[in-house]
Amino acid sequence: MHAADDVTFVLRPGTITALVGESGSGKSTVARLLARLYQPTAGQVLFDGVDVAGARRRRDLLRYRSQVQMIFQDPFGSLNPVKTIRHHLARPLRIHGRVERGGVEARVQELLETVGLVPAEKYAAKFPHELSGGQRQRVAIARALAVEPAVLVADEPTSMLDVSIRVGILNLMLDLKERERLAFLYVTHDLASARYVADTVLVMYAGQIVEQGAAEQVLQRPLHPYTQLLLASVPDPAVTERAPITARKGLAAAAVDPPPGCRFVERCPLRIPVCSERTPELVEASPGQSARCHVTAPSPARREDLHVEHVQ
Amino acid sequence: MSQLQPTVGDVEIVPLSVAAASGPSRRRLPGWLSLLLANPKSRVGLGLVGFMVIVALISPLISVSHPTDFNLLAARQAPSWHHLFGTTDQGSDIFSQVVLGARRSLILGAASALLATVLATVLGILAAYSGGIIDEVVNFLTNVFLVIPTIPLLIVISSYLKARGMTTMILVLGLTLWSFEARILRGQALSLKNRDFVQAAKVAGESTWRIVFGELMPNMISRIAAAFVLVFYVALLVDAGLEFLGLGDNTHVSWGMTLYWAQTNSAVLQGEWWPFFFPGLALVLTVVGLVFLLAGIDEVSNPRLRNLRRSK
Repeated sequence: MHAADDVTFVLRPGTITALVGESGSGKSTVARLLARLYQPTAGQVLFDGVDVAGARRRRDLLRYRSQVQMIFQDPFGSLNPVKTIRHHLARPLRIHGRVERGGVEARVQELLETVGLVPAEKYAAKFPHELSGGQRQRVAIARALAVEPAVLVADEPTSMLDVSIRVGILNLMLDLKERERLAFLYVTHDLASARYVADTVLVMYAGQIVEQGAAEQVLQRPLHPYTQLLLASVPDPAVTERAPITARKGLAAAAVDPPPGCRFVERCPLRIPVCSERTPELVEASPGQSARCHVTAPSPARREDLHVEHVQ
Repeated sequence: MSQLQPTVGDVEIVPLSVAAASGPSRRRLPGWLSLLLANPKSRVGLGLVGFMVIVALISPLISVSHPTDFNLLAARQAPSWHHLFGTTDQGSDIFSQVVLGARRSLILGAASALLATVLATVLGILAAYSGGIIDEVVNFLTNVFLVIPTIPLLIVISSYLKARGMTTMILVLGLTLWSFEARILRGQALSLKNRDFVQAAKVAGESTWRIVFGELMPNMISRIAAAFVLVFYVALLVDAGLEFLGLGDNTHVSWGMTLYWAQTNSAVLQGEWWPFFFPGLALVLTVVGLVFLLAGIDEVSNPRLRNLRRSK
């Protein structure tokens, strides 16, 4: 089973990196690997240059967790129904010893205010079922912020929320990015929200990153046919004509023992013979934008081949 | 885009939800007792069990004579004002035996239920949460104890044991009756352990013990209480059964021992119904009370049934 492999990316302080892709593409697996909920079978997770993928001792794990926190998709499931909001925020503070014994209450209130839940003392005493979905998600964000992390992994934090509340959460993320210099990994399938908040976009398909680059570039001039299809599938009331690109009716790539070749080949409208033979590399096709495609981002070696074919 | 006010739509609902919240949270504080008293089934159950507990508590005050007093002149008397429940072959007062027996029967039932419930809770939740080898071992143990029929096992154990005191009985009952509850609690913990709040606790850095007993277990309290009540009455019945068969501690007074002596002295053959009827009635009332209490707990802890009741 290859839920995600050959995934390499960098998170920088003060930036939001969006990880987009369809269901089952491995985005949540990547998020949970970063949050150390799954143990990677191979590869490295470098934090400040130190590999933390193998850290198993509680002390090392705690140090990592105090730097990397996670927000979950479902705000109705991510808070313990029998505990107060205060408990959810005070526990990380106590575990990591972030504040003096007497300062916990003050810090809890401060956190609630940071995420816009005022009056804080009223919210602290409540139980999760007394809050709305958006309020719960704010509590989840406050909990993640409690330990003052450097990295925040947000696994589709808005997908379970009402549309009217989403933008509030997105604005909160932008605000935190600026104020706390957080490095966000924003996992989503919602391209519009990715465009709204992200600085960098990573597109995943069948466990691989197929395209990455600056958000504007990737979303305005996508290289990989999958990204192009993804963008074409977003309904746009301003466009009346059909999208210029359509998918083949193929099956999604197998995640169990994937065959050699490009994983998108079955559905790809641009495919050429080599696609089902060799797995394309991630190639920087234009400055700051790379894609994994033999056609739109051919590797230098592949370009030679093409040239030779033309000459003949 | 930076310093956005973190106030959005969902925060404006605050006053409403505060008003709605103060009600339930205040009702929650007296908690389980008021919930149980509001339910007719558990009210009947609490009434019966409470009555028996009070009888057991004041038994030295209301028993008319020493329960094993030997008085052949007063033997085999039918119930009368002098001997409310009649007398035995040896002329002991059955009312005193039943009333004092309540104390032993209840303590024995509660203590074995406590032991079995603690075992079932710890093993069941720990197995479900840890998985792997711990789960395998606990599952194996549970299956072994489930397959071995309890009563024959108890007969074998108690016929071999020299010391048949109360402690022995409690240990034997507690150590054999935990398995079916462990199975149920493991199942419930399995369904809870993949909920995001458990993952979130892990990300926050909670230790395994803290997650099991601080986060998971509070969500299972009603099921654990039900387990306690269930084992309580099973232990009562099994204990009375063993004593009836002559495998109990015959130096003490209990409902089962009164039944045993009635049987050995063939009371019914001589037309004496009372040495069977009164201890049997006490046992039946206690068990029926516990069964009602169990049904009430089920109803109260099942939110669907609770909502049904509220809407009426």
